[in-house]
Amino acid sequence: MKLKLMGAAGALIASLTATAAFAEYPDRPINMVIPYGPGGATDISARSIAAPLGKAVGQPLIMTNITGAGGATGSVAVQNAKPDGYTMLFARVGSHSVNPAMKATLPYTLDDFRFVTVYEINPVACAVAPSSGIKTMDELIAKVKKGGVSYSSSGVGSLLHIAAVMVLNEFGVENPLQAATHIPQKGGGAAATAVLNGTATFICTNSSALASFVANGQLVPLMVTTPEPVKGFDAPTAAELGKPALEQLVGWTGIAGPKGLPDEVAKKWGAWMKTATDDKTFRSTMESRGSVIKLMSPEDANAFIKAQYKTFRALVDKLGMRIEG
Amino acid sequence: MSFADSLMAGLEIVGNIQSFLALFAGVAIGTVAGAIPGMSATMAVALTLPFTFSMTPITGILLLLGVYKGGIFGGSIPAILIKTPGTPASSATVLDGYPMAQQGRAGKALGMALWASCTADLISNLSLILFAGWLASFALSFGPPEFFTLILFSLTIIAGVSGDSLLRGALSAVAGLLLATVGLDLIYGTNRFTFGSPNMMGGLNFIAVLIGLFAIPEIIGMVWNPQVSADETRSLGKNWVTFAEYKKCFRSIVRGSFIGVFLGSIPGIGAAPSAFLSYSEARRKSPNKENFGKGEIEGVAASEAGNNGVAGATLIPLLALGVPGDVITAIILGAFMVHGLQPGPMMFIMNTNIIYGLFIGLIVSSVFLFLIGSVAIRGFKYVADIPRGVLFPGVMVLCIFGVFAVNNNIFDVGVMFAMGWLGFFMMRFRIPTAPFLIAFILGPLLEDNFRQAMLMSGSSPVILFRGPITWFFWSITLVTVIAIVRAGIRATTKETPPLPPTNQE
Repeated sequence: MKLKLMGAAGALIASLTATAAFAEYPDRPINMVIPYGPGGATDISARSIAAPLGKAVGQPLIMTNITGAGGATGSVAVQNAKPDGYTMLFARVGSHSVNPAMKATLPYTLDDFRFVTVYEINPVACAVAPSSGIKTMDELIAKVKKGGVSYSSSGVGSLLHIAAVMVLNEFGVENPLQAATHIPQKGGGAAATAVLNGTATFICTNSSALASFVANGQLVPLMVTTPEPVKGFDAPTAAELGKPALEQLVGWTGIAGPKGLPDEVAKKWGAWMKTATDDKTFRSTMESRGSVIKLMSPEDANAFIKAQYKTFRALVDKLGMRIEG
Repeated sequence: MSFADSLMAGLEIVGNIQSFLALFAGVAIGTVAGAIPGMSATMAVALTLPFTFSMTPITGILLLLGVYKGGIFGGSIPAILIKTPGTPASSATVLDGYPMAQQGRAGKALGMALWASCTADLISNLSLILFAGWLASFALSFGPPEFFTLILFSLTIIAGVSGDSLLRGALSAVAGLLLATVGLDLIYGTNRFTFGSPNMMGGLNFIAVLIGLFAIPEIIGMVWNPQVSADETRSLGKNWVTFAEYKKCFRSIVRGSFIGVFLGSIPGIGAAPSAFLSYSEARRKSPNKENFGKGEIEGVAASEAGNNGVAGATLIPLLALGVPGDVITAIILGAFMVHGLQPGPMMFIMNTNIIYGLFIGLIVSSVFLFLIGSVAIRGFKYVADIPRGVLFPGVMVLCIFGVFAVNNNIFDVGVMFAMGWLGFFMMRFRIPTAPFLIAFILGPLLEDNFRQAMLMSGSSPVILFRGPITWFFWSITLVTVIAIVRAGIRATTKETPPLPPTNQE
């Protein structure tokens, strides 16, 4: 008993005095912040990877949902954490490329984070209700030019919002903000419903959110943005329609730490993620939901997100979509 | 395939011990989780989801449905016993359930909550099985204008829960509307009343407001005035609910169940408004209207019928259209997709066995709910016997833990205490808190749908009268408002003669 106690005390002192040089990271549980609510795409993705990732890390991962303000509340919690690798964030396209591009009042920028990986890509698809009579992108664009077309999104500053605007812009609609009406909804489910019940004309969102509607013939897919066709979506790719620039328009999930995260921590995450994403159960779970598992190294992830941010930012600045208030 | 064939095919896949075990376990988990304040049914379902990945589709989905149903019922237990709704859906149950517990009738209130919940659950499941197709097409005709008129009508509930003074009720509602505007503007994405704080950007957390407004004032009141009630226990007695009482409330339960079914089948409303609407309808129709809010058993029955009636009906848009009506069904939709199933019209043709398997499971779940609920009540009812001096510090810890756990955010705990003080002063000045809460829930829905409707029409208000559904809600709103005004005038004229002295002891 006494020996055990002394051992524990010794370990405590050792851990307190240990410097980064010989303390093997990680020597205690890691806090993983999910900035969106339970049951959402980010949450399911995070919890699916948690099991194989926890095995690879060798320390428990504590998953906490800190929700609110389109992912901003949770992101701020990690932004303000110590960059020691014990508080990490599941970053998402909405919180870390659309929001920073659109919102001037956001309390963080991309530079406040260091990405260690992006592991999941979600193709984006555009769809309309069959009752609209629209069957191709060209017909949709023709109708937009006539007026009276609207699109739904899961809120201002969401991927869905910028996706619709970017698609209209690429297809040569002048002044997309005036040509079509944006009808924001609360959440992705409500956004799809809005197209189903005729509140809005079209929607551009993650293909997984539309898969069941397309399979049931309730929505007609017009286009997907990935280079390869998406299973179950009988629609051309953006490149086939001559708009390869739209390939930038994809959803993703990644992991980031606060700015100043040490190189060796980032390197370790790279190795862990390699092991975790090779897990069969994880892959089949994610792929059945329509995600593409694509692992990026810390450098690739940073470059990928920066590039997407720049594309979005350029569009936002060109159209004057930035929210200052 | 005939109905009998479909039923047999369904029985084939659920007729095994795992399915029923999963369902039973689900209801049990849900009831306990729902009974813990701050641990909402949503969270319980989300945390159960990863365990279902390795199960067969039907077993996994039955487990989730069990958790959902158990959670909605479980929320009523702390609502009655400690005035802390376990889930937002049971906030209407507090109104009469807690006064009943204070009068030593906790056992009766809990029993009625269970009976009403199970009846509503059964009605809701049967509606799903019989009218899914019809209700689904009805649900799809609800666009923003229809929503706007429905919510406008629902706001008339405020008059029903205002107690003696409509003016005080309206004041409370205005405060609720005001606080609900904090956060991001839906249409423009701009900050409203956030004062530059990232914590405020997400708006005030609903559960923090709920618990702060109901539970904390009781605790503050006790600290304020410790001698009065510290040792007082509220004897539970042998006051189990009787069949005669159930029969008396039966009309309200059925009415509440159908309100739940209608509101549940429309995506995006949820269980809390349905419970309040059912409550206010029961009050309006009841002969002892005066007793509502002071411990009327019919009030408990109506609220619980209203929120459990939603549970089966939210599966209508999910199964028939593939549309998740709330966060919980969105999670269940995720479970379907993980197993390669795509809910929607095609599923009724392609996977008849799964659909009917679910139907069988749902019916059985009502029975399980009754069994587990009875056991849970027997276990939890001893809470009513704990002296308040011991109970309340425990409740306080539970509230802080619960509110923190929702979002892992200490700011929410601060919100809870701020709301607690607000609730305390509202209590002292006899301002009812229920209108505050209803306005806090419905206000944002009203605003969002109004603005969406205006976007659709290019700011022409004509769209708010676009079809029979809107006309219907406009007319019943008008009728209700006239009735409230008339009742108000009658009440003021009645009050003028002085009370006979015999009434004062």
